Amino acid sequence: MLDETFDALKTYDWGVDPKILRPLDEAVVAAHGNAAACKVLEDRLIAVLKTDAPRAAKDAICRVLRTIGTVASVPALTALLADDKLSHMARYALERIPAPEAGNALRSALPKAAAKQQIGVLQSLGARHDATAIPALQVMLGSKDPGVAPAAARALGALALPAANKALASAKPTAAIADASMACAENLLAGGLKADAKATYQRVLASTPAKPVQFAATLGLKACAGG
Amino acid sequence: MNTQPTTRRGFLKTTGLTTAVLGFPTIIPSSALGNADTPPPSERIVMAGIGLGNQGGGDMGNFLGMKDVQYVAVCDVRQSVRDTRKGKVDAQYKTKDCAAYNDYRELLAREDIDAVHVATPDHWHAQIVIDACRAGKDVYCQKPETRNLAEGPLMVAAARRYGRVVSGGSQRVFADYRDTVQKCWGGELGTIKSINVNVGPLPQACNLPAEEVPADIDWERWLGPAPWAPYNSKRCDGNFSTGGNSWRSYSDYSSGGLTDWGAHHFGGATFAVDVRELQPSEVIYHDEGGKKFLTFKYPNGIELTHNMPGKGNLEVVGAAGSYVHAANPKPGEIVKPWVATAPGETRPAKPVPGYSVKGGIFADFINCVKTREKPFRDIELAVNTAVLCHLGMLAYTVQRSLKWDAAKQQFPGDEEANRFLDNARREPWQL
Repeated sequence: MLDETFDALKTYDWGVDPKILRPLDEAVVAAHGNAAACKVLEDRLIAVLKTDAPRAAKDAICRVLRTIGTVASVPALTALLADDKLSHMARYALERIPAPEAGNALRSALPKAAAKQQIGVLQSLGARHDATAIPALQVMLGSKDPGVAPAAARALGALALPAANKALASAKPTAAIADASMACAENLLAGGLKADAKATYQRVLASTPAKPVQFAATLGLKACAGG
Repeated sequence: MNTQPTTRRGFLKTTGLTTAVLGFPTIIPSSALGNADTPPPSERIVMAGIGLGNQGGGDMGNFLGMKDVQYVAVCDVRQSVRDTRKGKVDAQYKTKDCAAYNDYRELLAREDIDAVHVATPDHWHAQIVIDACRAGKDVYCQKPETRNLAEGPLMVAAARRYGRVVSGGSQRVFADYRDTVQKCWGGELGTIKSINVNVGPLPQACNLPAEEVPADIDWERWLGPAPWAPYNSKRCDGNFSTGGNSWRSYSDYSSGGLTDWGAHHFGGATFAVDVRELQPSEVIYHDEGGKKFLTFKYPNGIELTHNMPGKGNLEVVGAAGSYVHAANPKPGEIVKPWVATAPGETRPAKPVPGYSVKGGIFADFINCVKTREKPFRDIELAVNTAVLCHLGMLAYTVQRSLKWDAAKQQFPGDEEANRFLDNARREPWQL
């Protein structure tokens, strides 16, 4: 039945009953904990991903690679990052593959991607909580694209590390920078670094006049004071 | 937090730092204006709605009917919905002033709006709630408040960071399970051991064929952060079914009955057995003769089962007795009378928490917007309910038991399960 499923996958398109993919889902469940069985499935999926199978088929493959993908899937997925139609689903898998090669691929794709895809890649880098991405994210803070710079800020906020906070402090203040900075401040405060948290809130208060940000930074300072 | 007595117009005009940092509307009592019944428009909570289909329209009706609410704007990705809802608001106030938006960000950018209610499909909830908090708005968000496990902490963080009142939905948590709540909190059942929830079905994949996109709908915006798929009327239909032919049925937008009615039943169950503030530490997957069900184990020893064979919905077992109540049982639904098993095991009653004012969940939210209390369905409590749904969904997907670290919000040592904590959002959407 699995062979039939893989045959069907090659021409799987919108409108085809998704039940035809159930044997694949069941095979994934059965392969849990069995690296060899997962590899067999992964290799077959990568093979179809590299063909000119319909978008719906590649969408379905990326969903499965999100569960079982390893470093082996990274090249085929990376090749899709610049594709306007498939970039998101490539990230759907890459973002969740723990192998550092997945993070490397996302970082490498960043400078070459169009602005729209850059925003997605930045989101995925933040979601991976990968501290090695901070320098790359800091570079993107200076992007002239109105969507990219905030995306880089939010990714740094997702990391919420002292190094991310330092990168945010070097950038021109915006609401996104402020929000990300406050995420860092919360982490600093939770870690007992009150002075650093306070300095961050004070920086935000002094640099970002928007009322919600002013209020939030004031609340943050109150928290630092033990209120 | 105390309010300073001042007029609302005075508050809006103030540019000094002190009042600029006030993050809440400043209301004077209507009696001070000589009108004990209805505050003037300038003194009402200014509200807007985002996602105004079937459920959102109903929520809008509730807020619109409140004397201390001034409803000023509607937002929906369908032109026909915008037109209809704007018409209703204009008719209420006998004006043509209600604004209508397709892009919720334009609505959130308005400084005059104090609060929004959100009833979009589930896959939009986290994005809009977080953006609303960043914009300084209080939020009432329909259940289930989250689509996955990663969204909840981000929504709670945004609410706390910006000092917002954020209420989850589900008026049923307080209202529908009163008998069970009373028996548990009243001490009759003694120390509570377990409660069961029966709800389904699970969601399904959606691969419907492409149809021509009607002019009425902004399809790209309807999809938002969800994976791209071609338009199909059944994919985005907002009817309340969960067995197919509605977005509630499909896993890219919701989690079927597990979240749709699960948010109500799990919410009611966790309220009844007083674990609202907790998350389970483990979910055990059972497959007994083809019957699949779950046991959620809480750190305090209470067990919450899902679809346990032979058990009724919200069937609760305590040291002193067991009970399941169904006011209007469905065919085949298990209903059992209260059974006393060990009268000596009863416990003292404890006061049952409730809404801050009379008038249901909507009035509770509006009151909390004024007083800055946490609402009955504070977002953190609502997220704890949604966590049950998502943990359960994952256990059924991977068909095995899972351990959950609520403090770290991850599955300890379980790489496969941790892959499901979040899903990449379609650009340009980013939490």
